Amino acid sequence: MGLYQFKPPASGRMGTLWTLAPVRGASLLEYGCMGHMLYARTFLERAGIPINCRLHSTHLDETDIALGGADRLHAAVSEIILQDAPQVLFLLPSSVPEIIGTDLSALCSELQPKYPNTLLLPFGKGGFKSLSHQGVQDALMRLVKFLPRKTEKTSLPTFNIIGSCADLFRFQADAQEITRVMQGTFDMQPLCVLTSDTSVEKIREMGGAHINLVLRREGAPAAKQLQKQFGTPYLPGRPYGIRGTLQWIQSIAELLHILPDRRFLDSQKAESDRILGSALPMLRYRVRQSAEKMLLSVGGHADVVRGVLDYGCSELSLPRGTCWCDCPDMADGEISYLTEEQWTGAIQKQKGGLLMASGEALTFAGHGDTLQISNPDSRWRLNPYEPPFVGFRGALHLLDLWVNKSFQDQE
Amino acid sequence: MNDFSHLKRLSAVKTNAGVKLLTPAAGPGSHCPMHTALALSKQTAGLSTLVVGTPECATYGRMAVPQSRGKRGELHWLYVLDANEAVFGCREGLMKALEKMENAGAKAILLIVTCVPELIGEDMEGILHEIQPKLRAKLAFVLLAHFKCNSYPSGFWKTLLAFGELMEGQPKESRTVNVLANVKKEEDSDSDLPGLLRKEGFQLRFLTSGASLDDFLNASDAALNLVLSPYGQPLADRMERLFNIPYVSLHSLYQVEEIDGAFEKAEDVLRISIQENFQEERQKALCLQETSRDWLCGKRYILADIGQTLPIPLAVYLARFGMEPLLLHAEEFYPDDKGFAKALLEKGYDPPVCHMANPEADSQLISHLSANFCLGFLPYCPIPCLPELSGLLSGSGYRRTAGLLSTIRNIMAKEEEHHGTVPV
Repeated sequence: MGLYQFKPPASGRMGTLWTLAPVRGASLLEYGCMGHMLYARTFLERAGIPINCRLHSTHLDETDIALGGADRLHAAVSEIILQDAPQVLFLLPSSVPEIIGTDLSALCSELQPKYPNTLLLPFGKGGFKSLSHQGVQDALMRLVKFLPRKTEKTSLPTFNIIGSCADLFRFQADAQEITRVMQGTFDMQPLCVLTSDTSVEKIREMGGAHINLVLRREGAPAAKQLQKQFGTPYLPGRPYGIRGTLQWIQSIAELLHILPDRRFLDSQKAESDRILGSALPMLRYRVRQSAEKMLLSVGGHADVVRGVLDYGCSELSLPRGTCWCDCPDMADGEISYLTEEQWTGAIQKQKGGLLMASGEALTFAGHGDTLQISNPDSRWRLNPYEPPFVGFRGALHLLDLWVNKSFQDQE
Repeated sequence: MNDFSHLKRLSAVKTNAGVKLLTPAAGPGSHCPMHTALALSKQTAGLSTLVVGTPECATYGRMAVPQSRGKRGELHWLYVLDANEAVFGCREGLMKALEKMENAGAKAILLIVTCVPELIGEDMEGILHEIQPKLRAKLAFVLLAHFKCNSYPSGFWKTLLAFGELMEGQPKESRTVNVLANVKKEEDSDSDLPGLLRKEGFQLRFLTSGASLDDFLNASDAALNLVLSPYGQPLADRMERLFNIPYVSLHSLYQVEEIDGAFEKAEDVLRISIQENFQEERQKALCLQETSRDWLCGKRYILADIGQTLPIPLAVYLARFGMEPLLLHAEEFYPDDKGFAKALLEKGYDPPVCHMANPEADSQLISHLSANFCLGFLPYCPIPCLPELSGLLSGSGYRRTAGLLSTIRNIMAKEEEHHGTVPV
């Protein structure tokens, strides 16, 4: 890690907590100092995340650390089960017990027989080497590994969304657009939106879905697990742009051997064509006028960056600027990982253009946050009904942002 | 669970470690001291900060200080320990970070050290001792592991103490008074002591949130430290020890005669008349004090969150009327609390002490106590409650005493109206 001016990469512990916090019907206990949980709760509220899971911490004092006893954990588990009567109690590690070597899984195994009506589910990725994406991946995986029950496919077609989690900017709006497109195109209803709109009960029913839509690479192991367990096919990827969304729909149709509703698709296409038809000539004129001012620079989660780039550069022919992802493990030949020093340097070097990145990066660049597509955020996000970035409506939203930014820059 | 046997009684509490959670699952819990250290530091013009800890501390610390650069060029940067440093320490990395901050313009840097570096025993004093001669920037540090306390107050008082570490002796200015309060007041009313001192021509220097680093560096020239907040008490003690600056503390005084004594001490030091300016308030407080025993004797209460005000001195004062504390919530157990605890024990009361961090569960448990009312803020409180008390108690002097007694009497009168009699 080291020295940072902006928020550092989040830990695995944070990724786990942000993923689990929206799950209804569950309680969560962090084995650690309570200040972290208080901050995490405020962070989640600012990010507009419905905290449906009851969040608790044990707190720790010097005696707990010196003697290594787990009395606090035992007492807290007992209290939560008495007060909340949760179906599942998630147990999370924190930094201090990680250092003193607390074995949370062993403690859960020891306690489980005392509480037959509540599943005690311990989570890992507490160590200092784990980053947020590993916490998200681990949390998604454990939820689908331990909660779903054996079930038949639903009589009416349904789908699950995997990976709609609080660390992604505008995650709720994107999940809502995916749902709208699936309802319109295939008349399919969501069974479980993991985890931004779900409950223990819905996770238990996940095996009944006909397809799993995996919105981020961290969800792939969970989708594979569900395929193994229930034979459910899955489609990885985020649908960006008109062409990208149509291809994504085509992939679903092929995977499930079903036909999309032509009337819905035609209406979406006609609306997009009408809007693109009026805006594209202007956008292309701007590019011809000054390609430098129309450079599309994108920073954030690798899957988001790739999707926005595909739409902006491949579909709309915007010139590509500096692009980077925020996780070293996700870097590849096309999108590199940039450290704080590198992305601040790149932003300073490239003065103009369409910069889409985190709230912090945009503030640093002096751009305002209109083109924000990733976290860390610098604002409260209380409205879950902001426009999405994915799907047909996401494509129009992005187009609107780019056209207006190019006009602002001209002024 | 409906017993309190896991709690220690006041006589057995010697430090924060003796103050246990009332119910075992905190939710949402209490802020860690890093939060208040940052809240105070970001208001201190000229002071840069470096949080040293985990990604959680750094990320969430940004919620307290959203910008990495302050309005006057201060830097608020973050140092995150990696897996290797969490085992072997972060000495090298920290020294490089401090050099980098100085090169970026930091004039004074406070290292805010959180749980993990303190847990692994990182020698911050040694690191600063080694690097200070190489830097022009003044360095100080504050150890704020949350596992050493339950809540946030040490983030205030230890940070103020750390500012004290930067002070050097100055020639005395007989017309300057430092005010160690919770908030900086630009305009004082005539009815409080700072207002009177300003009227008498004294220069007031508030050593609190909003003071500049220069205010702290120059503070050793004052004739008197007026301590209105418990957060300032450890700094006042230190300044008396090192710079021979007397102090007058009002934050824990309720009894009219004790307030008289404090004012007399201030009169001696500053050579002005104080008490005669507050005769009306004094008379009112004295009258309420003399007539309240009949109202209050035998009443049992729970002391919940009363903000920065110390609970034990308040309990000592209420004990003089025969009021029995059934349970005390302590945000922090201060070093001076042992003295106050002794005074309460001498009056025959030895209540359990706890930290309330889960209002829902705590309230349920409290309903098992046969208390008449709850003083302080406690959501879901099952008994008559005075949540606004923390605002009232943040004042000082005769007016606070009068306000306290009349507020308690009012709630009892209301109860009597509701139920025909006040339960005893």
